[in-house]
Amino acid sequence: MANAVVFCSFDRGKDGLPAGAEEVLTLGRKLAAERGVDLDWVVLGPMSEAVAATASKLGVAHIDHMDDPALAELRPEAVIAAVHVYCRQASPGLVLMTQTFDARLVAPRAAARNGAGVVMNAVGIASKSDGITVTATAYGGDTRVEYDVAGPAVVGVVADSLLAEAAAVPSAPESRSIAVDLAGVQERVRVVQKAVTEGPRLEEAQIIVAGGRGLQEAQNYRLVEDLAAALGGMAGASRPIVDDGWTDSSHQVGLTGKITRPVLYIAAGISGASQHMVGCTAAKTLVAINKDPGAAIFKYAQYGIVGDCLEVLPELTKAVKGA
Amino acid sequence: MRIIICVKEVLDPDAVDNYVLHGKLEIGADGKTLTQTSIPRLMNAYDEQAIEAALRLRDAGAECVVDVVCIAADPTAILRHAAAMGADEITTVPVDAASLDGHAVARILAAYVKSKGGADLILCGRQASDDDQGVVPALLGELLDLPVITIARSVTLEGGAVRVVRVTPNGDEVVEATLPAIVTISNELGTPRYPTTMRTMKARRLNPEQAPLAALGLGESDVAPLVRMTRQYVSSVQGNCRFIDGATAADQAAALIGELRSQRVL
Ligand SMILES: Cc1cc2nc3c(=O)[nH]c(=O)nc-3n(C[C@H](O)[C@H](O)[C@H](O)COP(=O)(O)OP(=O)(O)OC[C@H]3O[C@@H](n4cnc5c(N)ncnc54)[C@H](O)[C@@H]3O)c2cc1C
Ligand SMILES: Nc1ncnc2c1ncn2[C@@H]1O[C@H](COP(=O)(O)O)[C@@H](O)[C@H]1O
Repeated sequence: MANAVVFCSFDRGKDGLPAGAEEVLTLGRKLAAERGVDLDWVVLGPMSEAVAATASKLGVAHIDHMDDPALAELRPEAVIAAVHVYCRQASPGLVLMTQTFDARLVAPRAAARNGAGVVMNAVGIASKSDGITVTATAYGGDTRVEYDVAGPAVVGVVADSLLAEAAAVPSAPESRSIAVDLAGVQERVRVVQKAVTEGPRLEEAQIIVAGGRGLQEAQNYRLVEDLAAALGGMAGASRPIVDDGWTDSSHQVGLTGKITRPVLYIAAGISGASQHMVGCTAAKTLVAINKDPGAAIFKYAQYGIVGDCLEVLPELTKAVKGA
Repeated sequence: MRIIICVKEVLDPDAVDNYVLHGKLEIGADGKTLTQTSIPRLMNAYDEQAIEAALRLRDAGAECVVDVVCIAADPTAILRHAAAMGADEITTVPVDAASLDGHAVARILAAYVKSKGGADLILCGRQASDDDQGVVPALLGELLDLPVITIARSVTLEGGAVRVVRVTPNGDEVVEATLPAIVTISNELGTPRYPTTMRTMKARRLNPEQAPLAALGLGESDVAPLVRMTRQYVSSVQGNCRFIDGATAADQAAALIGELRSQRVL
């Protein structure tokens, strides 16, 4: 188990499985095979029934379960302490985490505590004789950067950038329970008021109509909302119009907003800056409406309309409703 | 109280984006450094907002020293901007940041904080707009054994604690930690103040305090990176857009919806 490639999960996604589990385990399996070590999955906190079947399908050797009352809510200090206990015992060579909101804090802290290198925003990892090379995005996706890490590493993986692929032969994962006592761990950050999810989430929307500065004025954001409603989808936004208060930040798409993967994404009056595009390039179909035929967004779009979005949006709403 | 704000010097991300868009981003012979000297060097925008957050605390009555530190070869211009905004102290740790990784940056910042006898509040940006890593504040938290609160929309002080509204994927969350603590600032904080002409003039003559590694008790081996950047390249974008023609907006709209329906996207 020493030097193993480990997928560390500490959340429960929609279907009970941790976010990105299949994608990150696929990457982990390839790396483990290249290095001739096991792929292990360490699950922190309450474990879903779905884990065992997924682990087998993806070729996991061991399911290492760590539980403790302190992990009930998966708060950061407890999670970091648990990762630390695990790494001390198992000395994995590489710890992979799906880059969720919480992982952005947990991964570097866990790395520091374990003396490991850390890289976030990973879209690929290759093995080398003396470590790994991680490919990560930089400048909001404008560039890609390769980082060499010698020695143990913790890597935050952008699961949306990977494809899941079952193992050629399913494995028979062995379940191990790893003892951990987190009674002494204190959450130093107190939650005064929990975040409450109101209504549907942009990350899960199938259809998104997003607007940007090309809408000219705050009141025109309504045109985006109208088309979104007509299509049964949700409204998104670029950052500048969120900053200017045309809509609230729950609608912001991009590097520092929501990473979406809808079936259809319609971008109106959005230039296509890399920091926006990382939030919507996973869309199956991308439509851009922009009055500038040279706008960057047309490089990403499958369909383009060169025109004034203030005219085109209402016509689209009419066309959708008309049939 | 002392508020230390850690600021990074970055290449203007909009200029980088523009060069990429026009296929003109130049990468140096080392295969990783962006070499266009025409790209302005700026303070990372989130870090400017972190300074703004500190100044708002002072405006709200907190008695504090606003102390801005930057690790870079010569970030005089951006530190003068910090002073013009209202920072009381500006300091450079003169090291080429490109040779460091997050761990080394955090180790230097930790040594700096200690050299000042500690800080009550440390503010960072949520991430640097060049590497987008967002790891330094968390690493610093481990080194100084402090709570770290990420992605703040607003920061207030309540007695001996800091209260933060965090922007989370599920909506805003309100959290609190006893000082000292580290908080990372997000763009939701709002636009940083623009320095007055008078302050800008005054800051023009200021030279940042120098805190070389040796003065912080650090040697070369303390800042040896675990993570080394070896290569940087422009990611390719496919670009096979089908333009929908039409004499009027109504024609274009009808053609697009028709196409999306026939492709079963709708
Ligand atoms: C670290 C960092 C993080 C960032 N994170 C994000 C993020 O998460 N999300 C995000 O969106 N941005 C983010 N940004 C900002 C990003 O770089 C861009 O500035 C932003 O996306 C631009 O928004 P926009 O396209 O709405 O505006 P602009 O770039 O101003 O584009 C407006 C577009 O509208 C077109 N237009 C104008 N009038 C019309 C009209 N009448 N009809 C049709 N088209 C018209 C113009 O041709 C132009 O292409 C970030 C930047 C940095 C540095
Ligand atoms: N060279 C540096 N000097 C001072 N602060 C830095 C430096 N690099 C990073 N930081 C701080 O750490 C934050 C996150 O940086 P990063 O982890 O590189 O994305 C930045 O927003 C700064 O607040």
